[in-house]
Amino acid sequence: MKDITASAPLGRWRTIDLLTCAFLGVAFGVAYWGWGLIYEAPSTFVKAAFPPLAALFAWPWLVAGIVGMLVIRRPGAAVFTELLAAIVSALIGTQWGLTTLVSGFVQGLGVELGFAAFGYAAFRWGPLLVGGFLGGAFEAVYEWYSYWQDWAWGYKLAYLLLFGACVAVFGSLLALGLTRLLAKAGALNPFPPGQEVRERQAV
Amino acid sequence: MPRPESPRVEAGKSSAGTEQLEDSKSIQHLEPGDEIEKAAQRPGLAAAVQVRGLTWRPYGRSRPVLENLELTIAHGERILLAGPSGSGKSTLLRAIAGLLLTADSGELSGTVTIAGVPPQDRAGAVGLVLQDPGAGVVASTLGRDVAFGLENVSVPRVRMSDRVSAALAEVGLTMPETSSPATLSGGESQRLALAGALVMEPSVLLLDEPTAMLDPETAATVREVVDRVARRRHLTVVVVEHRLEGWLDQVDRLVVLDAHGGVVADGPAGPVLQEQGEALAAQGIWVPGVPDPELLVIDLPPSGGAVGLVPDGETVVSAQSVTVQHRSRRLGESSRVTVAVRDESLAVAAAETVALVGPSGAGKSSLLTASGGLVAPTSGQVTVADRLAPPDRECTSPDRECTCPDRECTCPDRECTCPDRECSSPDRECSSPDRECTCPDRQCTCAQPDRWRSKALARVVAWVPQRAATTIVARTVRDEVLTTPRAIGLDPAASASRADVLLATLGLAHLADVDPRNISGGEQRRLAVAAAIAHGPALVLADEPTVGQDRLTWSAVMGVLATAEREGSGVLVTTHDAGVIDRARRVVRLEPPASPSPPGGEGGSAHRHARETTHARETTHAQETTHAQETTHEQEEAQRHTLISRVGPLGLLLAALSVLVLPALLENWRQGLAVLAAEVLLGLVGLIAPGRGRAPTGRIAGVLRRLAPALLAVVGVGWSAWLLGGRDVEVAAGAALRVTCLVVPSAFVVGYLDPERLGDHLAQRLHLPARVVVAATAALQRVQSFDVLWAELLTTRRVRGIRADHGPVAKLRELGAVTVGLLVGALGQAAVLALAMDARGFAGAHRRTWAGDAPWRLADSLAVLAGLAVIAVAVAARAVWSG
Repeated sequence: MKDITASAPLGRWRTIDLLTCAFLGVAFGVAYWGWGLIYEAPSTFVKAAFPPLAALFAWPWLVAGIVGMLVIRRPGAAVFTELLAAIVSALIGTQWGLTTLVSGFVQGLGVELGFAAFGYAAFRWGPLLVGGFLGGAFEAVYEWYSYWQDWAWGYKLAYLLLFGACVAVFGSLLALGLTRLLAKAGALNPFPPGQEVRERQAV
Repeated sequence: MPRPESPRVEAGKSSAGTEQLEDSKSIQHLEPGDEIEKAAQRPGLAAAVQVRGLTWRPYGRSRPVLENLELTIAHGERILLAGPSGSGKSTLLRAIAGLLLTADSGELSGTVTIAGVPPQDRAGAVGLVLQDPGAGVVASTLGRDVAFGLENVSVPRVRMSDRVSAALAEVGLTMPETSSPATLSGGESQRLALAGALVMEPSVLLLDEPTAMLDPETAATVREVVDRVARRRHLTVVVVEHRLEGWLDQVDRLVVLDAHGGVVADGPAGPVLQEQGEALAAQGIWVPGVPDPELLVIDLPPSGGAVGLVPDGETVVSAQSVTVQHRSRRLGESSRVTVAVRDESLAVAAAETVALVGPSGAGKSSLLTASGGLVAPTSGQVTVADRLAPPDRECTSPDRECTCPDRECTCPDRECTCPDRECSSPDRECSSPDRECTCPDRQCTCAQPDRWRSKALARVVAWVPQRAATTIVARTVRDEVLTTPRAIGLDPAASASRADVLLATLGLAHLADVDPRNISGGEQRRLAVAAAIAHGPALVLADEPTVGQDRLTWSAVMGVLATAEREGSGVLVTTHDAGVIDRARRVVRLEPPASPSPPGGEGGSAHRHARETTHARETTHAQETTHAQETTHEQEEAQRHTLISRVGPLGLLLAALSVLVLPALLENWRQGLAVLAAEVLLGLVGLIAPGRGRAPTGRIAGVLRRLAPALLAVVGVGWSAWLLGGRDVEVAAGAALRVTCLVVPSAFVVGYLDPERLGDHLAQRLHLPARVVVAATAALQRVQSFDVLWAELLTTRRVRGIRADHGPVAKLRELGAVTVGLLVGALGQAAVLALAMDARGFAGAHRRTWAGDAPWRLADSLAVLAGLAVIAVAVAARAVWSG
């Protein structure tokens, strides 16, 4: 079965598209704030062994943008959702302050490019893997610059590859799972994933 | 730092029409816009509603909700639309407003026209007020909220404030326009929604059960306001309401839909009721004059309850001098503590129903949940009958140290020592109150239910929450009912047959295998009642269980509660429903907690902004805040403002983000230290609050609090730099300082960023897409509601017996379930808000005006200069300590 796309034209966001992205962003922002508090412990633990392994705990930061895109299926959904999640967590107060906005933007942008490459017409593993990897890679490059300047290039590269792979696999899996749960709960009825669920039930 | 231009009182936010407040009496005399008068003089041009062959089938339903519906409404006609639950009344309202496809998808045919044109053609031609007070709030102040529709149709800012003030005055809201909508009571919120619709000068006003969630007096006030406004403006009005009385004398016509979405009765209310009153009542419609329906008599199989019940007439639970406080937090503001219940006492005996009544805001729901141990009282005590109390290992406090003061020691051979006397005899001879029990093997029971573990609580207490939709925990209707019986280990066969009878009684049997999240709101509420009674708990707490039920489902819900009472449960029910109150054994009336600020009823005084929605009325403690409404009205002496608070949001953002170039400049720890010193110095200057008045408190503490999490990041980066950077302490220190320099400016700035003002600036100065910015700020207004929802989801799980009390896997799984629940709730809010916003012209507001201005002031330039100064220090430090 082909993926259902959002109503044409793709660029014309309905009010409910905007608000759903925004509310997802805010909800994820609150969740990110909580995750930021608990994630330092395991992250520091693996960093003690081999710092690039921090990527193992950093991929959840990108789930907001992926979910936003999987639900709304319009250009800009990933950037909007991810950026808003970053703003909310920064306003509540994260360890990175307002620089979280930069992270949110580059993460969302990476994911966005993955789906744009498929013309916003496919919402399965192809764009998920590409977008997830790009999102992770973009964030890794930003972190090279702001945090990890002192690492040797080998470590930096290892971090980038690991980060991208983790987002592409784990981030996509979590986002797919969440989207499916939301669709089954009837919360996505006005959106393509909800319609896909109803179509499947109709058979 | 030079002193910026005149200190602004409205440091936290700007608002439309602040200048109107200077003489609040003048509001009363302001006239609405000229357009209204013109419209009134030319009735022939104004609207009639024409519905032709309307059929609507949402995807996923086999039958249409509305089928081939025909309806013509003349100009100025006022219609009451009635029908049994699920007959498509609300759907018809949305169709008339042109909003069917806003929050759902499906097959739509037929036409709807307003004065000959589709409703979408003129934004605001049709005003819509929704059932849930506050569901449509989009802004952080009353003025901004009312102005929303005007912004959407690009009314220039200078012309907004008069119209906003006039609309607020017309609905009788006299508090300052800078008050927060969150401080309004339910009735005031509905009047705010009405003002938001009226400001658009609609010709048709649609009201979707506007008083269903209000107490009778408040409901009457809202009806009066609607009546007055409709007469004055010659509006065409369509009201949907389950309960006809109250509206009948102000409508011209009664239209009744049947269960299949067709019109079964249409005409002047009197004759329609005379001819068809009995038939309509039989369909479930609340027809005035027809006596309340008989309660359904139910033959319920026993549950084989795990703890059993208390003998009839004995106290099940008693609450003594209970006070409940709520803490709430919004972005850009510090937390507020509000008193929901103050010093109230209450007892519920076995086999009796106690009705808890009082106006909205009296704290009924809070006292209800505290009485069952769902929330811990801030002070006072809730005690459950001894025989129901679980052994102390069921307490959440550690096992052997039952800290519960009310514990009952049952230790046959205990020895007591009394410090006062010399006494080491058995305790029956030891009369000193100070005795210390040193019993090695004691068994304690804990009578305070808020300390109980999930399963222990579920065995004794059940809860029917007001918002049934958010508290669903299972995937089929049957599983939902069986959740608690299974969790506490009741006999499966007995539970199943009891559940089947409950479902059949409540009209849910045909839905037994359906996902409960996909059934209607009324059905979900009935399901919550069934799920509460399934395991035969000794105490049933029901929070407004009859709201939105028609006569038929009402008699079923009340029948089930009466059955629980007959079985010996104590039933505590909050309600506005006279039929429920009549049937209660006792009635406890609750008044809103006493408040030091001047009290006021509906209609209120200017000082009541400290009150919160339906829960809380009093601000007992407000920390530092940057908002005008807090400072100008709450304290006699105005609070001084810090220099930072005079900077606009864009200036703050630029200043805090200018540090992003630092990683490219900083090479070693010396440079980092110099830059950090500059940042801290400039930050401290920004915290200076010159001028006269009370000094703001907690400035430094706020910065330190925000820096605390940053410490984690700094240590993490320093450590990894040390590990991978040649294990050099200087390298590690350099990396750590670099991160510190990145986050310190944010710690100074974040507390002063107001999302709404940021939105104003981003849209007007940076020209970001208007609708995107509005959607984001509207969502940001609701962060606080997520806290409430989260707590409610956890409370539900606890009282249903499925809260994960221990085990990392169980806790992780619970975290997942609650997160999904939170997202579902958030998306539900988004859907309702989309309706409310599109009803006010948001769908077409690609270009819009803004009620809040976005000035660039001297303070903004200075903030940006401060950011540049930090960079200059970095450059200089690099020259001095390079390499």
